[in-house]
Amino acid sequence: MSSLSLRQKSTPLMFLLPSLIIMAFILLVPIIMGLRLSFFEWLMRDISKEPTFVGLRNYIELFKSDNFRTSVFVTIRFVLSVVVIEIVAGLILALLLESGLKGMRFFRTLFVLPIMVAPVVVGVMWRFMYNPSYGKINYLLTQIGFERVEWLSNPDIALTSVIIADVWQWTPFVFLLALAALQGVPQDLSDAAVVDGANYMQKLLRIKLPYIASILGVTAILRLIDAFRSLVVIFNLTYGGPGVSTEVMSLHLYKSAFVSQRLGLASAIAVLLLLLIVILSLGLLVSNLRNKEN
Amino acid sequence: MKKIGLIAVMIAILVSAAVFAGGQQEAEQAPAAAESTDGFDWRQFEGQTIVACWPNHGHYNATMKSGVIEEFEELTGIDVEIDLLQYIKMHDKQVLEMSKASGDYDMVSMVVMWKAEYAMGDMIEPLQPFFDKPNLAVPEYDFDDLVPGYVEVTGIAGGENIYMDGPGAKLYGLPFGSETSFLVYRQDLFDEYDIEVPETYDDLIEVSKFVHENIDGVGGLTMRGASGHHATHGYLLHASPYGARILEKGTWEPAFTEPESIKTIEFMKKMVEYGPPGMTGYTQDEEWQAFLQGDAAMYLDASVFTGAVNDPSKSKVVGKVGYALHPTAKTAGSETGGFGLAIPKNATNPEASFLFMQYLTMKETERKIIDNGGAPFRMSSVNDPALQEEYPEFEVLAEQLKYANPDWRPIIPEWGEINSTIGININQALTGEKTPEEAMEDAVDPIRDILIRAGYIDE
Repeated sequence: MSSLSLRQKSTPLMFLLPSLIIMAFILLVPIIMGLRLSFFEWLMRDISKEPTFVGLRNYIELFKSDNFRTSVFVTIRFVLSVVVIEIVAGLILALLLESGLKGMRFFRTLFVLPIMVAPVVVGVMWRFMYNPSYGKINYLLTQIGFERVEWLSNPDIALTSVIIADVWQWTPFVFLLALAALQGVPQDLSDAAVVDGANYMQKLLRIKLPYIASILGVTAILRLIDAFRSLVVIFNLTYGGPGVSTEVMSLHLYKSAFVSQRLGLASAIAVLLLLLIVILSLGLLVSNLRNKEN
Repeated sequence: MKKIGLIAVMIAILVSAAVFAGGQQEAEQAPAAAESTDGFDWRQFEGQTIVACWPNHGHYNATMKSGVIEEFEELTGIDVEIDLLQYIKMHDKQVLEMSKASGDYDMVSMVVMWKAEYAMGDMIEPLQPFFDKPNLAVPEYDFDDLVPGYVEVTGIAGGENIYMDGPGAKLYGLPFGSETSFLVYRQDLFDEYDIEVPETYDDLIEVSKFVHENIDGVGGLTMRGASGHHATHGYLLHASPYGARILEKGTWEPAFTEPESIKTIEFMKKMVEYGPPGMTGYTQDEEWQAFLQGDAAMYLDASVFTGAVNDPSKSKVVGKVGYALHPTAKTAGSETGGFGLAIPKNATNPEASFLFMQYLTMKETERKIIDNGGAPFRMSSVNDPALQEEYPEFEVLAEQLKYANPDWRPIIPEWGEINSTIGININQALTGEKTPEEAMEDAVDPIRDILIRAGYIDE
């Protein structure tokens, strides 16, 4: 009897095993290799030679490096800004377009277009628009009587410019998910609230938002992870400049690997980046689950 | 309805096929050059294919426009494929390809700053063995006619200071798209406002200030300033005349905190103030555009720029420009840089690639490339009175080459990392985030670390 139950228990595991093995190979192995490499010095120009073990030197160097510290702060500022702005803006857009007014389908399609643009194109496009001499944005600003803005060449403004481009591209993603969630709110709940005399704000705060909170939470996690890894737009827009004011960790990693050619150091940055993402996502995930239980 | 649409599509396809076929035929009928070579067997590698990694750069674009590649293919029966990349991004791809057992590239175009790294890393072939083989060396090639400064900076490594000529040095590349720097200015504005062409850096400051204050919508000098490589390039252009150095000769200690260096950065800050808007974010592209669009009165950088200046499809200032020598400060010194052609060690068809390399850099080919907006690299061309007549900048170029500084920057294998580190700090000084002194001081430790790690200096 007992052996049968063991087999019964293990059968589903056996079915899962092939996919688990594949997952382990394509996910865990690279991570472990990366972790291992972070304790080595391996120059890209000497890639045919064996890496040399240097212990914790790469990590110590990173913690001492001003540029790395700046890149951590820049990353956190960038990620928090885009996630908060995109969630709020996407939600507002979804609420506005939720009702079945005429012409709304057109706008819904229109708003989704930016997601489909390749990030390289987004970077180049915004770089043209921000150009101080012939960019459209400064042209429009001067037409309506404002001063030209040094979008990409002023260290105090450049990060904002990058955030604007990211928000432009990814708010529609939040909008789509929020819209889908809102459409899942049962109509009878809303109707009952209206009968009870609830106004729009009450309906929103008491019924809709709590109902879609968990989906918004997942959306936030998805955006958070994505924003941490975002490289292409910044790469094309500012390449980290002016100074290091827009050099996010992923770009710092890229430069360590391909400009400085230090693959070990780059792996150390990758490990730290992974840690940061895991900690922040776990935090969000746990609070999200707790909300759900409540 | 559907049928008519189908027929229309088919007609369109047929017509376009006919048009394209016509184009191909024309290309095939193009006359082949250099066929007169006595007894040299151009067709010994017939049927091979070579892949070249080239930059999207004026000189290379001119080469492709001029039809010399098709002529080479016809002459030799070798197929040429070009992998065209943005120049600053070529490095990563080339290193990756060259570190494989068998790479995709038979020819790479390398920016001079990668030369020592490739040569010392044993990634590219020394060229002398190729030149020594009678069946490979084209008899009328005339190596000595290549601009000597260009050959040294683009092709020679392993001598003095690793990146220069001297005992132990070998030839690894040939100049192609090489450059020095000179001043390009708006003749029309200078005439209209009665401005004298600057000869010294003090003049340059004065003229920039004058333009900034008196000519609406036009800045003084256009300059690269974007964080990293571009800011360093901008700095080096002015550091050489000011007598500033990145590293001390002999000891390899950082020397960029010296007064000459600070003076160079202060000069650059003035240029940012008097120049077109946003220069602290300028890469080479923005630097060029500012002059080509008429937003800047002067340009002082790579000489290959003239191809774009004279191209009406790119430039609003065709026929409105004059050329002058790179202004002097403490000394006269212009840049040496640009691109050289090299053959990877792991190339599949190195010999065919060597033929292509020679063909591209021969006198007849050079003329065709110049006619399409490319840059000269043979002394006979810059000194040719007929060409000087046609291209007024050649006269200035011939004179400027005497002052071209082959030790313009310390292009040791670690230069990429140094370049990037110091460029971030220069940019921070230009934007006002740090003072010039602070910025350069902040770069000392990271750069010493790089040099210590590589064994140039002790802790």
